[in-house]
Amino acid sequence: MMKNESRFETLARLARSEAPPRVDVAGRVIAILSAEQVRLDRASDKPLMWLAAFSSAVAVPAAVLAVIVYNNWVGPLFEISQAIAWVTQ
Amino acid sequence: MALPVVSGRIGSIGLEQFWAGLVRAVVDSVSVVEDRRPDAPDAAEFEDVRQSRQGDSDAYRRLIERHQEQVGGILWRFSRDRLVHEELVQDVFVEAYMSLRSYRGKAPFHHWLSRIATRVGYRYWKQTARRRETENFTIEEWDQVPDGSAEQMDPSEAASLVHRLLAQLRPRDRLVLTLRYLEGCDVAETARRTGWTRGMVKVQAVRAKKKLEKLVAKAGKGLE
Repeated sequence: MMKNESRFETLARLARSEAPPRVDVAGRVIAILSAEQVRLDRASDKPLMWLAAFSSAVAVPAAVLAVIVYNNWVGPLFEISQAIAWVTQ
Repeated sequence: MALPVVSGRIGSIGLEQFWAGLVRAVVDSVSVVEDRRPDAPDAAEFEDVRQSRQGDSDAYRRLIERHQEQVGGILWRFSRDRLVHEELVQDVFVEAYMSLRSYRGKAPFHHWLSRIATRVGYRYWKQTARRRETENFTIEEWDQVPDGSAEQMDPSEAASLVHRLLAQLRPRDRLVLTLRYLEGCDVAETARRTGWTRGMVKVQAVRAKKKLEKLVAKAGKGLE
């Protein structure tokens, strides 16, 4: 057991002195982060676009409904006012 | 520590102003003490961190260039495949940028990065373990290492052998032995990097060593 342990420790100590390969990731990391930023900017616009679309979708039927209600409401009133005008003549 | 308390002046300035000054002075003195810690980050580096948080890519590039070698050294223990190794280093800096706001500047930046690097490397091991991608290791290689002249082995060869041997263990066991023996971390440093308690590190290290011994014994004539 000791033999294996000391062999392992010797190898590990040797391994510690190994020089790792050089890396240069600065350019790629900055590119990834820039792309991510663009994606996030686009994603942040999406809720506003959905809100605008939803508002338009609700506004058009509401306007149509408002015209119908206005006509139904104003029609009988107009008839009554006509009748009153005829009586008073 | 310079407090703005001068006897006789308290009455002449408003009580509110006095308390505000007192609080400011205490805060300043605390930050001065923290800045003077021997392991505190240097001013230029902290300035780069601050500018990076505000989106300055040149500042972050400087930080990467300053620390990529050290991070590369840590991750070389996690993968000896050059492509994977580079990807892992890259992941560390992307992850570090995403959590840059959590860096408070109380410890050197490279300490903070080494924790992230360990986490990224450990995650990679867990993924490869899930895919059951184990590296080849034969007991013959282990037995071929001469006891007397192991010291004369090429460091790269030794590292490769230890790496493949440890790859036979579960990621958790592998992590603790890698940090303790390959990175040369003491118990406190291992605990800091892994986020485990010191007691847990000790227990895990003993267990992992036993498992390693069993593995060598099981694979062949390992025991004396």
